[in-house]
Amino acid sequence: MESVGLNAYLFVGAVLFVCGIVCMAIKRNGIGVLMGVELVLNSANLNFVAFARYTPLGLDGQVIALFVIVLAAAEAAVALAIALNFYNNHLTIDVDRGSELQG
Amino acid sequence: MTADVLFWLFAALVCGGALGVVVTQNIVRMAFWLILSLGSVSALFFLLGADFLGAAQLLIYVGGTVVLLVFGVMLTASGPYMQIKTSAADGLLGACVGGLLFLVLVSSISGMDWSQLHTTNTTPSVIAERPEGNTLRPLGLAFLGLRPDRPVTEGSEVKPAPGYLLPFEIVSVHLLVVLVGAAYLARAKRRANPSNDSLSA
Amino acid sequence: MDTGTVLRNLLTLAWLLPLAGFVAEIYALQLRWSHRLSKAPAQLAVACIGAGFLCSLSALLYWGNETKWVGFAPVEHHTPAEGLDGGDTAPADALRPDATGGEPASEHHHQTPKFYAGTFYKLAQFGPLEITLDWYIDSLTLVMFTMVTFIATCIHLFAMGYMKDELTEEYEDHQVHLPGGHHFTRPGRFHRFFAFLSLFCFSMLGLVLAGNIFQVFIFWELVGVCSYLLIGFYVERHSASTAANKAFIMNRVGDFGFLIGLMILITSLGTFRFFDVTTADGAEQTGLFSLVRGDDGKLDISDDPSVTKSVVYLRDSHGHRLVDGTTPRTISYLLLIAAGLGVFAGSIGKSAQFPLQTWLPDAMEGPTPVSALVHSATMVAAGVYLAGRFYPMFPPEVLLGIAYIGCITLFVAATIAVVATDIKKVLAYSTISQLGYMMLGIGVGGWAAGLFHLVTHAFFKSLMFLASGSVIAGCHHEQDMRKMGGLRHKMPITAYTMLIGVIAIAGLAIPGVGNALFGQALAFSGYHSKDAIVASALAFSELNRNPLHNILFIVPLVTAGITAFYMFRLWFMTFAGQPQDEHVYEHAHENPAIMTAPLVILSLLAAGCAIGGEDGWLYCLLSFSETVPTVDRFTSERVASIVIPSHLDARDVHGTAGGLALLAAFAGTTVAYLLYCRKVVNPDDIRRQAGGVYDFLVDKWRFDTLYDVAFVRPCHIVASWCQGFDQKVLDVVLHASAAITIVVSKWERTFDEGMVDGLVNLIGNSTTNFGRSLRVVQTGRLRQYVMWIAVGVVVLFAALFTALPK
Repeated sequence: MESVGLNAYLFVGAVLFVCGIVCMAIKRNGIGVLMGVELVLNSANLNFVAFARYTPLGLDGQVIALFVIVLAAAEAAVALAIALNFYNNHLTIDVDRGSELQG
Repeated sequence: MTADVLFWLFAALVCGGALGVVVTQNIVRMAFWLILSLGSVSALFFLLGADFLGAAQLLIYVGGTVVLLVFGVMLTASGPYMQIKTSAADGLLGACVGGLLFLVLVSSISGMDWSQLHTTNTTPSVIAERPEGNTLRPLGLAFLGLRPDRPVTEGSEVKPAPGYLLPFEIVSVHLLVVLVGAAYLARAKRRANPSNDSLSA
Repeated sequence: MDTGTVLRNLLTLAWLLPLAGFVAEIYALQLRWSHRLSKAPAQLAVACIGAGFLCSLSALLYWGNETKWVGFAPVEHHTPAEGLDGGDTAPADALRPDATGGEPASEHHHQTPKFYAGTFYKLAQFGPLEITLDWYIDSLTLVMFTMVTFIATCIHLFAMGYMKDELTEEYEDHQVHLPGGHHFTRPGRFHRFFAFLSLFCFSMLGLVLAGNIFQVFIFWELVGVCSYLLIGFYVERHSASTAANKAFIMNRVGDFGFLIGLMILITSLGTFRFFDVTTADGAEQTGLFSLVRGDDGKLDISDDPSVTKSVVYLRDSHGHRLVDGTTPRTISYLLLIAAGLGVFAGSIGKSAQFPLQTWLPDAMEGPTPVSALVHSATMVAAGVYLAGRFYPMFPPEVLLGIAYIGCITLFVAATIAVVATDIKKVLAYSTISQLGYMMLGIGVGGWAAGLFHLVTHAFFKSLMFLASGSVIAGCHHEQDMRKMGGLRHKMPITAYTMLIGVIAIAGLAIPGVGNALFGQALAFSGYHSKDAIVASALAFSELNRNPLHNILFIVPLVTAGITAFYMFRLWFMTFAGQPQDEHVYEHAHENPAIMTAPLVILSLLAAGCAIGGEDGWLYCLLSFSETVPTVDRFTSERVASIVIPSHLDARDVHGTAGGLALLAAFAGTTVAYLLYCRKVVNPDDIRRQAGGVYDFLVDKWRFDTLYDVAFVRPCHIVASWCQGFDQKVLDVVLHASAAITIVVSKWERTFDEGMVDGLVNLIGNSTTNFGRSLRVVQTGRLRQYVMWIAVGVVVLFAALFTALPK
C-alpha cells in the first residue's frame, strides 16, 4: 500500500484550486487575477495527470493536460494584452475601476 | 520512501507558493511565489511519471508564461499600481469563501471511493504495463491513436483508439489566432483622453 | 329654307349677339383683352346690339316681303272678301288663330300664317312635363325685337358719352361721403356697365322670343337680375343699393303670383307651350292658347250659371273638345281666373303697377342710360308684353282686374308726378302712369292699343330719359328742376328733342291739318296710341251698364290732362323762363355729338313712328298678331256682367274719345304754360293753398309709409321675436348642451387619466422598477462575480449534500 495515493494529489490540487479562486476574488490587481487563473489551471492539470497515473484514464490525461498547458499559454497572452489595453484606457490596472459592465 | 518524501516536500512547496501568491500584496513577489508553485507542480508531474509534461510545464509556464507575466508587470509598472491593496474585509470574505470551497472539495475527494475506478473495465495486467517515465514515445503514439496501455482488441473485435491529431491541429490554429489577436490588442496606440477615465471612475 | 327658319335664325342671332358681347366684356379685364381706360367694351357692346338691330330689322322686312305686306295694311272689317290688297288675301280670316305656322289651312291657300314657332332644345322632361327652349315669332315679336334693339343701340351710343367719367383708374364718387370729409374712390367700371347692358338686352330679347311661359319666366328673372345689377351700379351709395334691393324684392312679390299661376297651368293644362306641336309619333300636343281658346278664340264655358261650378272645356286647334277617356278635359273657371291673376301679378311687379309701383322711382338711382333702358324697352315693357302675350289666357274677369289696376296706377302716378321736382322722378312717375294706360288698354279689350302705346311710349320715353340724362350731364349731375331754367339757350338740341317727346307724350295734335295727308290728325306718336286706349275705354264704359265702369273712361281722360300739365311743367321749368341758379346755368353746356345724335334719331321716331294712327303700319302690324279676335263683342256673366268691346265699338267712339282727350291735353298744356312760363299765378301760392294735398302727393300717396307700417315693421317685429327666441331659447339650449358636453368630457378625461392611463403606467412603472432593482446586482465588478461563482458552487454542493441521500 503506497502511502502517497491519488487522494494526496487531489488534496494538493484542491489547495491550488482554492488558492486560485481566492486569488481571483480578492486581488484588485489585474495581473494578480491572471495569476489566480494560472493557479486554477494548474490545479486542473495536476488532477488530470494524477488521474492518468492512478486510474485507467492513462495517457489521455497527459494529452489533455498538454492541451491545457497550451491553451493556458494562449490565454495568458490574450489576458496580458487585455490588461495592457485596460491600462491604456484607465491609467491603472485596478480591476475595480473597470465597471463598464455595471447595469 | 524517497518518492513519498519528495512528494510531501513538493506538495508543501506547491501549497506554500499558492498561499504566498494569495497573501502577498507586492506584484513582483507574487510572481516569484507563482514561479515557486508552478515549478513544484512540474516536480509533482515528474513524480507521477509524466516526464514530458513536467518538462513542458517548466518550459512553458516557468519559462514562458511567468516571464510573460513579468513583462506585463514591468510594462504596467508605474507608481499607483503598487499601492493597490486588498482590503481587510475582502481578504476575510475571500478566506471564508475559500475555506468553505476547500471544505466542499475535501469532503468530495474523501467521500469518493476511487478504487472503484480500478475495477471497471480494466485488467491489472494493463495497469502493470503502464510506462514509468520516458513518456515521449507513448505520447507521440497516442497522438496517432496507437495506445500501448490499451488493449487493441476487445473480445474478437479490433477496436482502434482515437488519435489526437485533429484536436492538435485545432489547438495549433487556435494558438496562432490567439497570438495574432494578442499582438493586435497589445499594440502601441494613442492613450485615451484622461478626463474620460476620471469620469468613468 | 322656309320663312319660319329664316326668321328664327335672324332673331336668334340678334338674341345671342348681346350674350356673346356680355361674355367678352365681363372677361375683358381678366383676360387682358382690354384695360380700364379702353372704350373697346363699349364699342363691342354697340356693335353687338347694332348688329342685332340689323338682324331684327331685316327679319321684319323679310317677313313683310314674304307675307306680301299683308300685316302692314289696315284690315277692312266690313268687307272681308275684298281686302285692300286686291283680294289676294283674306284679312278677316287672317285673324283666325287656326292658321298655325305648321299647317296653313288648306282651304285658304294664300293665307298667311299668323305665327311661326318651334323648339330649340329640350332641357328636361319630367313625365309628361317637358321643359323646352321654344321660339315663337309673330308680328308682335318682330316689332318688339326691332324696337328693343333699336332703342338699346341708341342708349348704348348715348351711354358711351354719358359714362365716360368711368374711364379712369380712380373714380371719385361725390355722393359717397367717407368719415373725414373724403369722397369714396374706386376704379372705374366702364366695361362692367356695358357688360350688364348687354346681358340686359339678351335677357329681354330672350323673353320676347320665348315660346313657352316657363321660358318667359326664366328670362323674366334674368331681366330682374340685370335691373338689380344696373340700378345698384353705384353700389357704394346707400340709396343705390337699397333701391336695387327694393326693386328686386318688389319684383319677388309679383313673381310669387307668377309662380302660382305657373303651377296652376301645369297642373291643370299640363303644358307650358303657347303653340301646338306635332310630336314625332304623330300625336298632337295642344298648346296653351288652343286649349283655352280653341279655333274661334272663344272660351268654351259650361252652361252652369254658378261661377264656382262652371268649367272651361279644353279644345284642340280644330275646335274639338278634348276628351280623357269619355270625360271631357276641363279646367275650373275659377282656376283659370286665378292663373290669369297670378301671371298678371308678375306683370304688376315688373311693370310697376299699383300696388307694387314704389320701386320704379327709386330705380332712378341707377345711371340715366339704365333708367332709359329700364323705362322704355326692357324691364317695364316686359310686364306689358307678358300681359299682351298671355292675353288669350285671360278671362273677362281678369281683364277687368287689369283695367282697374291700370286705371288706379295711371292716376296715382300722374298726381305724384305733378309735384315731383327731380327731373328723373317726374319721368319715372310718368312712366308708371303710361304703363297704367297700357294695362288699361289691354284690360278694356284694346289689346293692340295697349301694345301700340307700349311701342310709341318706348320711343318717346327713351328720348326723354336720354334728354334728361343730357341735361344732367350738362349740368354736372344736377337733377333738381328748381335750379334749372332757360337751359334751351345752352343746350338747344336737347331742349327741342325733349320738346318733341313732351308733345308726343302729352298727346297734342292739330286737328284737321293732317287729314288730307294721312287721314288722321297731324300729331306725334303719343296722340295716336293714347287715343286708341281712351277710345277702347270709352267703348267699354258705354257697353257695360255698370256706372262704376265709367271711371275707366273718366280717369284716363282727366289723367291725359294731368299728363300734359306735368310734362310741360317739366319742360318749362327746365328749358324755358329765367335761369334759377346762376351757378348751374353758367356751367351748363351742350353735350358732344355721341350723346345728341341718339336724341335726334329717337325724336324722329317718337314723332313719326305712329304715323297714320290706327290705320298706320305699326298699329296694323301689332293687331295682325292678335291671337284672340276682337271683332266681336265678348260677354261674360259669371262674376260680374262684363262686355268686352270689339274693334268696331272702339272705332265708333274714336272721334268722341280723341276729341275729349285732345281737349284735356290742351287744357293741361295751357295751365302749365300759364303757371310755369307766364307765371300768372305763382305755383308756390297754390302749393300753400293745398298744403295737405301737396304733402300727400309729395309723400307719394304715402305708399312707402303704408308699406313700412304694414310690412316692413311687422317684419322687423317678427324678426326681433325670432332673434329673441334665438338668443333666449335656442342659444340657451345650445349653451347648456355645450356645457353638459364639457362636463361629460371632463369626467371622461378624469377616467382616462386616472383609470386607463393609470393602469398602463402602473404596468410600465412596475416593470421599470423591477428592472432597476435588478440593476444593483449587475455591479460590473469582476471580483464580485468570481466571489459569487464560488459562493454559488458552495451553496450548490451544500444543497446537494443536504437534499440527496448518501
